Amino acid sequence: MVNPVRNSRSPLNPTGLGSKRNPASGQRSIISNRRKVKYVLIALILIAVGIGASLTLFQSEEKRVKKQFHLLFEGVLKEPGENIFTMDQKIKKIGSLFRESCEINIPAYSVSGRLTRDEITGYAARSRLHFTQLHLKFYDFNIAFPQEGEAKVRLTARLTGKTTAGEMVNEAHELDCLLKKIEKRWLFDRIEVVEVLRR
Amino acid sequence: MVVNKGIRQFLFPSLTHSFLIRAGCVALLAYLVFGHLLIPFRIKGHSMEPAYQNGEFNFCWRFRHLFSKPKRGDVVVIRFTGQRVMLLKRVVALEGEVVEFRDGRLFINGKKLDEPYIHKPYDWNLSPRQVESDSVYVVGDNRSGPMQNHFFGQASLSRILGDPLW
Repeated sequence: MVNPVRNSRSPLNPTGLGSKRNPASGQRSIISNRRKVKYVLIALILIAVGIGASLTLFQSEEKRVKKQFHLLFEGVLKEPGENIFTMDQKIKKIGSLFRESCEINIPAYSVSGRLTRDEITGYAARSRLHFTQLHLKFYDFNIAFPQEGEAKVRLTARLTGKTTAGEMVNEAHELDCLLKKIEKRWLFDRIEVVEVLRR
Repeated sequence: MVVNKGIRQFLFPSLTHSFLIRAGCVALLAYLVFGHLLIPFRIKGHSMEPAYQNGEFNFCWRFRHLFSKPKRGDVVVIRFTGQRVMLLKRVVALEGEVVEFRDGRLFINGKKLDEPYIHKPYDWNLSPRQVESDSVYVVGDNRSGPMQNHFFGQASLSRILGDPLW
């Protein structure tokens, strides 16, 4: 009986792994390192997805305050050819963001004093009629909560658009706003324009 | 073949420790330089024409007024709440000086200021007013159209972020 001599590079061990301490063992460690990196990346992605989901599901108060400004942006936004129904919806949306009365101080537009919600919506409706296009964007939010149910917001507002007379409008203002939480909703209580350049 | 390998290595680098450290250093340096020292911005508007045209790109150099106050004639970048929206204006008067516009001419302390950067005539009238301490008076170069439509006045020095790089 002859026992066949087993070749180390036989089909059972084609690469010769384990037969010698050669570069192949280094290759194995690289493969395992790559696997480790893969696992770390998958873990990081899962953590990021988890954080994202929790942030979406459980909104912070800061995000809720910011959302009110986004709704104000949506209410003010006007595109050419806006119909009366859309305009009415937007005016109602603007009105719902304010308290029953709100202090507004915008000297550039000769608006000053404590206005009722109806006065604000009326003013917004009249102002929007002067424009064919209107965009109000907010930047650089600085939100503080001085006490429970109160949010002070400093930000930059940029108004761009086109009047019915064809004039282009491009204005930026720093705003100081106070929002109060009433029945789980943040509503505007004060909007004031900060004078950056005093004539 | 070697070139192909090089390109492949550049586009799809292997995530080695040294690569991650290099990438981190580049990201940190870019954040520090372009977030705090040289803030990139694009001009939107015509208030500084003809010196600065609408749509031009520039950088705000933050260190320009670190140890010195702005001088008359300097073009400065003025911030609002943050750095996303800024104003580009020219300093025409310093603290304590009296500013006045008379029939489209600018007077500082009663003397007419020579302004070679103004190319279009204007007809502004503004009664004399003194610039407060720690403030400068800034105006745009393009003064065409009614004065009410322009954004100018005295700005606190704390609001001056820097100068445009060119």
